[in-house]
Amino acid sequence: MTGPAIAVESLSYAYGSLEAVKGVSFDVQPGEILGFLGPNGAGKSTTIKMLTGQLTPKGGSARILGVDVALDDPEVQAQIGVCFEEKNLYLQMTALENLEFFASLFGIRDVDAMEVLRRVGLADRARDRVGNFSKGMRQRMMISRAFINKPKVLFLDEPTDGLDPVTSAAIRATIREEADRGAAVLLTTHDMFEADELSDRVAFINEGEIVALDTAESLKLKYGTRSVLVRLRDGDGVRQEHLPLGGGGSPARLAELAASPDLLTIHTEEATLEAIFIKLTGRGLEG
Amino acid sequence: MSSPVSRGAIITALLKKELIAYSRDKLYLFLTALTVVAVVSVFWLLPDSVEESITLAVSPPVQTMVEDARETLKAMGATDEQLAELDEADLTEGEEGIALVEFESAEQMAAVIEGTLEAYRTNEGALVFRDPGADEDKPKDAHRMNVDIGIAFPETFISDVAAKKDGVRVTIYSDAAVPEEIEGAMHSFVREMAYQFAGVALPVGMPDADQIVLGEDRVGNQVTMREKMRPMLAFMILLIETFSMSSLISLEVAQRTVTAVLVTPAKVADFLIAKTVFGTGLSLVQGTIVLALVGAFTPQNWSILLATLLVGAMMFTGVALFVGSAGKDFMGQLFYTMMFTIPLLIPSFSVLFPGSAAPWVKAIPSYPVLDTLVNTTMYGAGWDEAAGSLAYGLVWVVVLYGIGLFALKRKVESL
Repeated sequence: MTGPAIAVESLSYAYGSLEAVKGVSFDVQPGEILGFLGPNGAGKSTTIKMLTGQLTPKGGSARILGVDVALDDPEVQAQIGVCFEEKNLYLQMTALENLEFFASLFGIRDVDAMEVLRRVGLADRARDRVGNFSKGMRQRMMISRAFINKPKVLFLDEPTDGLDPVTSAAIRATIREEADRGAAVLLTTHDMFEADELSDRVAFINEGEIVALDTAESLKLKYGTRSVLVRLRDGDGVRQEHLPLGGGGSPARLAELAASPDLLTIHTEEATLEAIFIKLTGRGLEG
Repeated sequence: MSSPVSRGAIITALLKKELIAYSRDKLYLFLTALTVVAVVSVFWLLPDSVEESITLAVSPPVQTMVEDARETLKAMGATDEQLAELDEADLTEGEEGIALVEFESAEQMAAVIEGTLEAYRTNEGALVFRDPGADEDKPKDAHRMNVDIGIAFPETFISDVAAKKDGVRVTIYSDAAVPEEIEGAMHSFVREMAYQFAGVALPVGMPDADQIVLGEDRVGNQVTMREKMRPMLAFMILLIETFSMSSLISLEVAQRTVTAVLVTPAKVADFLIAKTVFGTGLSLVQGTIVLALVGAFTPQNWSILLATLLVGAMMFTGVALFVGSAGKDFMGQLFYTMMFTIPLLIPSFSVLFPGSAAPWVKAIPSYPVLDTLVNTTMYGAGWDEAAGSLAYGLVWVVVLYGIGLFALKRKVESL
């Protein structure tokens, strides 16, 4: 197919009188990772539930692989992979049995579940019951389950939550591999570093509305401060100067300070995604 | 896009998963095995016969009273033929279902009725006693006499009543459990004896009485406790499986694994069908095993019993679907299971007591299932009698299933 793998137009949902999602619009192209950032209760999970067929939208439209999600088409469901925030695995079953069961729901007969487990570093625990797994191992199982049908669209809700830095890096690498394979990935996360590193574009969602949507670089340029911070020795203490880039007398002053024997450090003052989010919404991402 | 997976393949996969999940849960496996063993053991331990005769004790022995009365009656003008008839006197003559046991003393008889002394009848017919408090072996080649009621006559009873003496006192001893009507019958029995020995006919014309037994005459073939318990035992299995099934459903909802299933090509309907088929199959198989182990199946009734079990299993699975969507944890499951299944057990209690069930008992959904089980296993009912009850049971199945499926569907969709 051509066109976006996920196309959302004015999508909305309300729990009773509470409007959880207020007319959000975005799209995700095949091979693209869209970072969906927002604090708890912002509407991220509700949006994913509508896109995965768990909730019926109250307004607007959403198409996955060109098919309206309201149709709840099994053929579309067969092309998506979901990694939930809660670790909803069958604890009584082994890792292998979990994957083989879900593969059978997708109608995949020749699944190489061991290879999928190998990708997330669980091949040696394939025949252990998931109930005996650590939190991190269960999270890796969640990722492997989402990959089992080689989906064209991936919904990943906090995929590296609770993982150690090494495992997180490995999981990020597999997510990137999936995108490189051509999968469209909608990624929700609290981890700014992860969003920055993985996402081709980032959407900020707050109180059910998308307040910004662009590449991380563009957002930083648009909302960040273009300046450098120079720190200098000053007697027994340290003094610092902020120099705006691209204008006025800054280049000459910067050259002067760079030549000073009291110079300690020079840093660019690039805005973080979190700082931009706070600037746009007046609240933090953990809230 | 790839070719879609068939509904049959999805349901098969879900059933396979159910079987793995069930087989891996040690608690449910233990409960199931324990219940089957316990139910079958209880059945075979229950008495398989009914004591239809009442043992009547008397003291002193009849012949002692006869010997005492011989001289008095002779003096009163009794002929040798009449005295010979007295020698052959049988207190229980014409009284069907009454066995007589004679004691030398009233104290001995009272102690046996009270249970502080045990009486045994040897194979030779002798009566021997044992003090249960003493360290004595039970007599060999003897069976214990269960005596619940006894009449202590004075030794001079026959001669006294024949002489129309006033103040003749007879004492009736009875166990606390003896029904009042039996005690009343003993009073009448004593009065009738007195009239007979006094040679005075009752001052009434005696009507002829015909007895017509309505329904199957079970005299000599009473329904044993073992037979009465059979339907209840089968229901116990259904109850345990309701709990197991509802727990599996509840676990699936609580752990939200159902959500993971429903973002695949599987639909809510597939999930519900798989739960239904698995729950009904589980109950049906176990109910069949238990009924087979308690010897309920015959070449004539097996098809009716299987159909009845199927209806019962479907009915309890409907309840399990509802309970599974309501309970949040183990205690919650237990509470809801008990709350909804104990009322369904009530009809099985009605079998234990004589008489037909009260109208409100007949209104309980499980009544038609139980009624068919009872009529088939106890009274040899065929398809003609069972079909109506089972059809009525199926109506209840549809209602309970509808409620269960609606509750679970709502629960799943709200996750």
